[in-house]
Amino acid sequence: MTTLWDTTGSAVVKELAAQRRTGGAVLSGVALTVVVVADESRVTEAEEAATHAAEMHPCRVLIVVRRQIDAPAPRLDAEVQIGGRLGPGEAVVMRMYGRLALHAESVVLPLLAADAPVVTWWHEAAPDRLATDALGVLADRRITDSSLAADPLAALSTRAEDYAPGDSDLAWTRSTAWRTALASTLDSVSGRRGDAVRILGGAIQGDPGNATARLLSGWLSSRSGCRIDVTAGPQHPGPSGVAAVELELDQDERVEIRADRRGGAVISQPNRPDATVALPERPLGDLLSEELRRLDPDEPYSEALEAATGVHDIHDRPAVREFVWLDPATSSARRETPAPTVPGDSEDADEVALAGSPDDTDRPTGQDGATA
Amino acid sequence: MIPNPLRDPRDRRLPRVPEPCALVVFGITGDLARKKLLPAVYDLANRGLLPTNFALLGFARRDWGDTEFAELARDAARQNARTPWREEVWERLAASVHFVQGSFDDDNAFDELAGALAELEGSHGIGGNAAFYLSIPPAMFPVVLKQMQRTGMAESTPGRWRRVVVEKPFGEDLASSRELNELVDSVFTADDVFRIDHYLGKETVQNLMALRFANTLFEPIWNGHNVESVQITMAEDVGIGGRAGFYEKTGAARDVLQNHLLQLLALTAMEEPVEFSAEEIRTEKLKVLRAVSLPEDLATFAVRGQYQPGWLAGQRAKGYREEDGVDPDSTTETYAAVRLGVETRRWAGVPFYLRTGKRLPRRVTEIALVFKRAPHLPFADTDTEELGNNQLVVRVQPDEGVTLKFGSKVPGSVMEVRDVSMDFLYGEQFTESSPEAYERLLLDVLLGDATLFPRNAEVEASWAVIDPLEEFWAGTKPHPYRAGEWGPRAADEMLAAEGRRWRRP
Repeated sequence: MTTLWDTTGSAVVKELAAQRRTGGAVLSGVALTVVVVADESRVTEAEEAATHAAEMHPCRVLIVVRRQIDAPAPRLDAEVQIGGRLGPGEAVVMRMYGRLALHAESVVLPLLAADAPVVTWWHEAAPDRLATDALGVLADRRITDSSLAADPLAALSTRAEDYAPGDSDLAWTRSTAWRTALASTLDSVSGRRGDAVRILGGAIQGDPGNATARLLSGWLSSRSGCRIDVTAGPQHPGPSGVAAVELELDQDERVEIRADRRGGAVISQPNRPDATVALPERPLGDLLSEELRRLDPDEPYSEALEAATGVHDIHDRPAVREFVWLDPATSSARRETPAPTVPGDSEDADEVALAGSPDDTDRPTGQDGATA
Repeated sequence: MIPNPLRDPRDRRLPRVPEPCALVVFGITGDLARKKLLPAVYDLANRGLLPTNFALLGFARRDWGDTEFAELARDAARQNARTPWREEVWERLAASVHFVQGSFDDDNAFDELAGALAELEGSHGIGGNAAFYLSIPPAMFPVVLKQMQRTGMAESTPGRWRRVVVEKPFGEDLASSRELNELVDSVFTADDVFRIDHYLGKETVQNLMALRFANTLFEPIWNGHNVESVQITMAEDVGIGGRAGFYEKTGAARDVLQNHLLQLLALTAMEEPVEFSAEEIRTEKLKVLRAVSLPEDLATFAVRGQYQPGWLAGQRAKGYREEDGVDPDSTTETYAAVRLGVETRRWAGVPFYLRTGKRLPRRVTEIALVFKRAPHLPFADTDTEELGNNQLVVRVQPDEGVTLKFGSKVPGSVMEVRDVSMDFLYGEQFTESSPEAYERLLLDVLLGDATLFPRNAEVEASWAVIDPLEEFWAGTKPHPYRAGEWGPRAADEMLAAEGRRWRRP
């Protein structure tokens, strides 16, 4: 491991190349790059998850931590790791200070594995419009986590408004175990009948304010064609927000799956004794590896999201986003809070602000720091 | 498959889970069941790939109750499971684990087994579906199969399926395998018979098909115009262990060459299947196996060997004849190498060298395509002295992956070309997630997916290749080789006769 203090992107690229040469067990078949955008308070969590995922999928992990956007001088600290704490592959943890944080892609672009897909994962509240983060625009697949937002339901709506094919959300990934159990229960009913099953209605008991529960409800509604809502039940649901799912079937039958809060769920179905299946709460790394398993747009997610939020025709949108420059220092959201005190000499220290960057030519130079 | 409103072909997050069913294992106390089957069942359960209504029935001679059996199964699963141990998963599984005691010729025991199965249909909701795993010596097959026929356990009806899983060896020559196939197919229908060749469950073997048929790069050169020879190696560093009784009668050719190596040859040499389905892939493999030809000069091109005492991995190793239970004058081979041809337009004239052996320096299985040298080299002879043939190597185990060997300039002021290799390490990066072969194959049996199982015609075609070899070898003595070296001298001479040499894997 090498830590580079107050460094540049080129130095990081050189260090990575140097370590690959001397690193002994060098991973040769990097199949994708994972860019993790994490808040400083969640870096350890993100590192663990990315390490787990890197063990399953050969990838280069680039962790970007944006700190103190209002710091007077831009600065980059980087930690280059090959085959160490951060899994078998190559990993770089970058902490970006000052205006550099708004131009993180200038450091990340040369570090992407050649001609391999890029996945960007925000392990923090993701921007309202992913197009405003260049790290999202350069990605082939974007992973957000609505459950991290203060208001998960509002976050889901935001995701639906902003959706483009290739987006995914860990709140959706958390529903996979439930969806698997539901689908195989219906398999077993239709297997017994020797005939197809129709869903006539149903209900989810759980936390109506939970993004996963809402997506599960959206999925069931989109697959069955009838409204299946989340209602608060007597049982307190686990982190997936779902305590039980009940489905009304044709031929006057019904099935129910109820979490037993011991990492399992009990399946009740007609003409069969109750059975228990494993339904564990999965660690973050597991969820992330599931996401990395496939890199094409996830249509069932878009349909579930549509049904859960009522935002329509989201899957027809173009898959490519155009970068939109948004300066947090001048955006309306930040205006309300008083601008931080920035030393007077900050303009001279901010190379990007002075020289401009290719991505923000439409922005008049010199506007930086004007709000100070 | 009956349509399910919650299933969507685009939704690839949802795994394929079998219908409710029971798995009945004959010989549950055996080595294979303890080391491979029980752990595989646990791993499947832990990954959520077993149906909600599932039961495991063990059948063996030992006088045990359900609890004793559950204890053994737990220890076996725990020791050998690939995925992390979770007690709650096992507890759930243990509730549906049962044991039936009896010997294979005992009518009562089989009636009891049939009764237990019928009972599970109600109590565990398995819906009458069952897979029978014959983890028993082949000599016992007829008895067990007849018992199953007598009790009606083997009948598939539209409402339920009954499948049988058979382990190799599938017979000991063409005649006996035909007899066995007829017997198995008469008790079960041919579609319900799954012959396990665990090599075909390995990810790299499946990856071989992806490599060949999903890419444009390799298929154009995958023929006799470009390939000069093919070497398929399966080497083991272990000896025969405690299997003397079995091995004495079998030998390397029947144990490995007949199934694993010929299957690997078939996958390497086959034409593109019309689609990636069980039936089409088997059809193409069968065509190759039927096109396999033996050399005329068997004395030179079919070599068998037997390991002598030696040193292996820093330890003294016994010779084969000194192993427990082996005849001191045994002529059973522990090494076999043969040069085969594949008489098709694609492969005519390309020798396929197959070798397998025990007590070789390391455990390795690989398929190496050796390409012809460039027809003209614009360099001085001295420049390319160290340049060998280009090679494409598919490593099946360990370090699953692909290596491409080609010439490259040595840095410096003179032009000098030397071999370098480019590695794709499939294993290093994916091992954590890639399932054990048995896990995958067991799941396929329960799902009824026969893509990775050879069918009876393939087995018979393979025996048709091995029988003449065994006939030729009968009465001869195997060449000796020291434990810890790459086979007998005669095997090296076999390749040297045609100006080639074995690749050191």
